[in-house]
Amino acid sequence: MNINKDTIVAIFLLLFCGIMINNSFEIEDPGYQGMKASFWPTVILCLLSVMCLVMLIKSVVYKTDNNLDAIDENTTNIFFKFKNALICFFMFVLFLTFLDYLGMLIGGILFVFGLLTLLGGASPKKLFNHFIISIITIGIMWSIFTFGLKVILPEGELLRIW
Amino acid sequence: MIDVILQAFASIVLDPVTLGLMLIGTLAGILAGAIPGFTIAMGVILTLPFTFGMTAIQGLATMLGVFVGGFSGGLMSCMLTGIPGTPSSVATTFDGFPLVRSGRPGLALGLGLWSSFFGGMISAVILVALAPQLAFLGLEFGPWDYFSLIIFALTITVSLSGGNITKGLIAGLLGLFAATVGEDEINGVARFTFGFDDFKQGFAFLPVLIGLFAFSQLLTDVEDDKRAKSPLMSQSGSVVKVEHMKAISIILKRWVNLFRSSFIGIFTGILPAAGGSISNILAYDQAKKASKNRSNFGKGEYDGVIAPEAANNATAGGALIMMMALGIPGDIVTAVMLGALMIHNIIPGPTFIQDEPLLAYGVFIAFFVAHFFMVGLQAFSLRIFLLVTKIPMYVLASVILAYCAIGVFALHNIVFDIWVMFFFGIIGYFMKKLGFPLAPMILGVVLGRLAELNLARATGISDDLMLFLTRPWSMFFLLMAVISVIFPFYQNAEKNTPFSRLYVPISMIALSLPLFLMDSPVRMVVASILVLSGGYFLYKSYNNIKAT
Repeated sequence: MNINKDTIVAIFLLLFCGIMINNSFEIEDPGYQGMKASFWPTVILCLLSVMCLVMLIKSVVYKTDNNLDAIDENTTNIFFKFKNALICFFMFVLFLTFLDYLGMLIGGILFVFGLLTLLGGASPKKLFNHFIISIITIGIMWSIFTFGLKVILPEGELLRIW
Repeated sequence: MIDVILQAFASIVLDPVTLGLMLIGTLAGILAGAIPGFTIAMGVILTLPFTFGMTAIQGLATMLGVFVGGFSGGLMSCMLTGIPGTPSSVATTFDGFPLVRSGRPGLALGLGLWSSFFGGMISAVILVALAPQLAFLGLEFGPWDYFSLIIFALTITVSLSGGNITKGLIAGLLGLFAATVGEDEINGVARFTFGFDDFKQGFAFLPVLIGLFAFSQLLTDVEDDKRAKSPLMSQSGSVVKVEHMKAISIILKRWVNLFRSSFIGIFTGILPAAGGSISNILAYDQAKKASKNRSNFGKGEYDGVIAPEAANNATAGGALIMMMALGIPGDIVTAVMLGALMIHNIIPGPTFIQDEPLLAYGVFIAFFVAHFFMVGLQAFSLRIFLLVTKIPMYVLASVILAYCAIGVFALHNIVFDIWVMFFFGIIGYFMKKLGFPLAPMILGVVLGRLAELNLARATGISDDLMLFLTRPWSMFFLLMAVISVIFPFYQNAEKNTPFSRLYVPISMIALSLPLFLMDSPVRMVVASILVLSGGYFLYKSYNNIKAT
């Protein structure tokens, strides 16, 4: 029996389907005539469960090159492989968490500056370049949306206090 | 009719704002198409937030500029550096790059540019002629037929998006499921909200799309540390003078190749999910098979440049035909355009051309005009392209990630949409890593609500579910859906297996059945031809199987 990435994904998706099917029983029925609100999602979830089951069986029966042993041996390599993506995730979560406080302008500049520095390096010349890039690009975008498209972007508590 | 066309013409050509927006859009499209790692779809998706403040026609015209510009942008990078800017210009590299290296860069660029232009023009004419006719056909559809058409659009997307069909179907179903979250449109009942008020409004289309497609693509682009830090292209090429007249003369002398490739492009565009990435290779292959100078292909043959470039621009017209006539997106780009229309409270469907003639004919005219901009902007955009290629990917990715956040916020002015984009960005990134195609999921999200609405209408009219199988159009689309699901198995099967030999004739005979049920002499003739051809192929296959 082979256990590989597809097996794990299929099991995860089956669990997801189980939770969602269970939740679909809680969808209210207002008693109107016609199709119930839970009908369509239930059909999709049942089909999804069947497809996940097919994927699970295929992953176990057929040999693939996604063997789990090979993955376990290289956990450190995997971390380095996804390092930049993880940096992006982390910076984006930080940006969103502090958006209400910093606002789109300051938050955006800090996000771009931080991300550029973490991805590109932090030599004095690069820091200067990153600072200029973040101010100019976010400044232009903020101006286009605020003045050109009349979108009220989050101002941030920091600017309001100031 | 004429006054509508004239009004639409005036709204595009006589409005300096619309023309200016199209100009910027075309330039942005050429650059997006030219930069490896960026795609035309990404260019159009990133343009969408800017269109919120525009009128519907201005927004669509701008996006059409990006769309048309993107197809021709790919040829700059593939010819000057040998690296295709987009998947739709892969085949152009085969002969375009050798032609440049043989000392004819001006001619190579001219051939690519004018082939794109003529291909686009041919598809524009077909678009204008075919879309209204197809829309008339669409007026025959009831909710049963429309639901089955959506199922067919999803299954063919799965089968043509390549890779594992099980994963493709799972991706499509996940997309359909994502569209069910929030209050349903029929009963107003909350679904899968888990007590969160923000979930009640559901996942807006744009944040999901930007997350799945653009966000995940940017993460993939910066994954490799070394590549992310180096300039976009090591070889950036140099400015060349395009030989316009010579290129036009060569293309017109090879008009058969031009028309054949354009029609391949249009047909591929009409099929949901089969975009320029498929049509350019198909057209190149056909041009090579039909050429007397087959041995010259790969060494800088003119036909090898004309075919893929004419085909990929013609694909744009083909994809628009389905969107305009039936409200079914032909690819991710037209799915975004569909989303743009919905933002302006316009629901595309078979009655779209009748209900919104000004907008529909405006789209046709914008598609024509964008091709002229594309030709006019090429020399200028070549200079900008050479500058952009010196920027490292990590700089572009960081700035665009921030832009995505601002753009998504602009949709409803709520931070929840940015979280949705982030969440779907992570999903899209891992789905790509695990081999799930994203196109079916995107189409699932776009078409999910439409599918549910039509299913509800159908079951509201009659409890009889057999109508899905007995109504001719619904039966036709469901048969097409089954055929498209089996298609990858047919492709993978050995050429001599009985299954692979019977697939085409049986499909033809099966499709004739709903056509016979339609009360139309023309369709009866088509059905008879299908049965006769299918029967002939079946007889031949039977004899071959018997002989082996």
